[in-house]
Amino acid sequence: MSPSPSIGRSLGWLSIFSSGTALLAASLALLFFQLQEVKSSLLLRLETVADLIAFNIAPAVDFNDVEAAKVMLGSLQTRPALLSAGVVVNGRIFAVYSRKGVAPEGGDLRRVSAGHRFDDHELTVYRPISSQGRPLGTLFIHIDLHEYDQTWRRFAFITGLVAIPALLIAILIAQLPQRAISRPILNLASLAAAVSDRKDYSVRAPAMKSAAEIERLVGTFNQMLTEIQGQHAEIENARATLEQRVADRTRELESRTEQLETQGRELAAANRELESFSYSVSHDLRAPLRAIDGFSKALLSDYRAGALDQRGVHFLERVRAGTQRMSQLIDDMLHLSKVTRRPLERVVVDVTAVAQEVATELARRDPDRFVHCVIEPNLRASADSHLLTIVFENLLGNAWKFTGSREDARVEVGQTSIGGEAAFFVRDNGAGFNAAYAGKLFGAFQRLHHESEFEGTGIGLATVKRIITRHGGLVSAEGVEGVGATFYFTLGGKP
Amino acid sequence: MTRRIFWQWPLLLTTGLGIAQAGAAATAPEYQVKAAFIYKFTTYIRWPAPVGGNAARPFVIGVIGKDPFGPLLAAVVREQSVQGRAIRVKTLSRIEEALECDLVFVSSSERGNLGQIFSLLHGASVLTVGDMDQFAEQGGMIGLVTTEDNHVRFDINRAAIERSGLRASSQLLHLARIIDEPREDGGHR
Repeated sequence: MSPSPSIGRSLGWLSIFSSGTALLAASLALLFFQLQEVKSSLLLRLETVADLIAFNIAPAVDFNDVEAAKVMLGSLQTRPALLSAGVVVNGRIFAVYSRKGVAPEGGDLRRVSAGHRFDDHELTVYRPISSQGRPLGTLFIHIDLHEYDQTWRRFAFITGLVAIPALLIAILIAQLPQRAISRPILNLASLAAAVSDRKDYSVRAPAMKSAAEIERLVGTFNQMLTEIQGQHAEIENARATLEQRVADRTRELESRTEQLETQGRELAAANRELESFSYSVSHDLRAPLRAIDGFSKALLSDYRAGALDQRGVHFLERVRAGTQRMSQLIDDMLHLSKVTRRPLERVVVDVTAVAQEVATELARRDPDRFVHCVIEPNLRASADSHLLTIVFENLLGNAWKFTGSREDARVEVGQTSIGGEAAFFVRDNGAGFNAAYAGKLFGAFQRLHHESEFEGTGIGLATVKRIITRHGGLVSAEGVEGVGATFYFTLGGKP
Repeated sequence: MTRRIFWQWPLLLTTGLGIAQAGAAATAPEYQVKAAFIYKFTTYIRWPAPVGGNAARPFVIGVIGKDPFGPLLAAVVREQSVQGRAIRVKTLSRIEEALECDLVFVSSSERGNLGQIFSLLHGASVLTVGDMDQFAEQGGMIGLVTTEDNHVRFDINRAAIERSGLRASSQLLHLARIIDEPREDGGHR
């Protein structure tokens, strides 16, 4: 596609075209009327001559004087355009004069009325000849129109001679208003290009005297630039503010993270201190406890006969039960802290086998009970084998314990999915628990049932939660009092 | 309109016939041509209004001497008129009767009486036409001349016509050989 012409060029061509057309039409009209004028004046002149000759030649015709008629016709020879002239009487040529080499006009001999005929380059005029109202014949004069053609050409030439400079002048004059229109538009175009290239919105089109619409266009363009400039400044401003805010937030976050890390470190240190404290306390408590138990035992065996009455023996037995229970507590606490301190060793564990082993051990320990135990086959997980065994010891132990009052005790181990992650569950149809207290289940020393109802130290589920947390997993429980409980746990990492 | 065209037809036919006969001069009888000429002269010459206001008086063409026309002249002027006056042809028995005419044809038989005739008609508005030799030169107004190729031409004595108070049209004068004064040299154009 060829590029579109510029507005200046378009307007230029338009003015050339319009003035050229107008001039051509005017020239043609002028030429046409001039030619009509020339034609009619030529005709008039010839008719005048014909009238004169028709009048003068009448007696020659009347008196049958061919010679005199010829002489009279011969007077026309001074006219260079004359081809022939003659008198026709009763359809026959009475007298004729013709230029050398030009055949006499023979046509239309019957014509008796006045008139004329324009042929290609010839004109014939007819005039009746009469005397006192008596028609005598017809005169014809036949002339060549080359003179007229020359006049025609001269007129055309002069018209062209006048028209061409007139056209040039018209075009020059048309340039003035055209510049007034095209210059502001060209200015505007280059300004728009500059704005688009340099993104400089501060430039303005100069005000120019031009057509009202162009002036309005320039005004609107400038107004638009002002608006764009304003919006641009606003956007820049907003961006600067946003960047400032992002920087502020980043700084804030960094300081907060630092704070959290410090807190985390402090917390971990405190935790470690607490663990070592509880370990040492547990450890150190065992020696005095063993002393109390040992001496209580010695008292019972050595002083039973006579020295101690029935009440004394009972008190001592109460002391011993208390120490044994305390010993159990200390053992559990040591166990819990050991669980926390041991490094995690992930291996692929046959979960089914682990659960089966724990269940078998529980059944062996309590041979009087029958618990229907269902363990899903082929369960596998990536976990610390020892810690996972502890988890099942606690969860299955609980299940065993809380189904103790039921004849149709049933415990289930299987796999399900929680939030797209593989999860294991241990379900029983035992005592269950009040769902309102589900949050308290996993705290150390938290018990939902009285000790007299179900024995236990309240450390088990805390240990489970600690192990699962160390694996990066989650543990949860759901239960209905008197119907049963289900414990779910995930193990994090890859299954 | 129709009426006028209707009336023009006989006119056209008559004159057409006359011209056709004149055009064939070689074969047409000489006096038929001359008779036609006499009538045609009346259309190129203007007579003063008749004395006494008698406009209804006919236009009289008289023939003096031996009449060479026979019935031809009367035939030519039948139904015609001069300036609204009907034409009558009359053979004169006496020269004096010429004064009652408007046009007189002087026969060549009257060669000897020319002096008498012209002096009688001196100052009278009577056109004199003759076909004898040297008629115009001797004081006649229009002399008819037959050329060697049998064409009829005419001489006009302009002074004689002006004396009589008649007005010949320039067209007619243009066609004629003009005889200004009676001269000795005869001959034709």
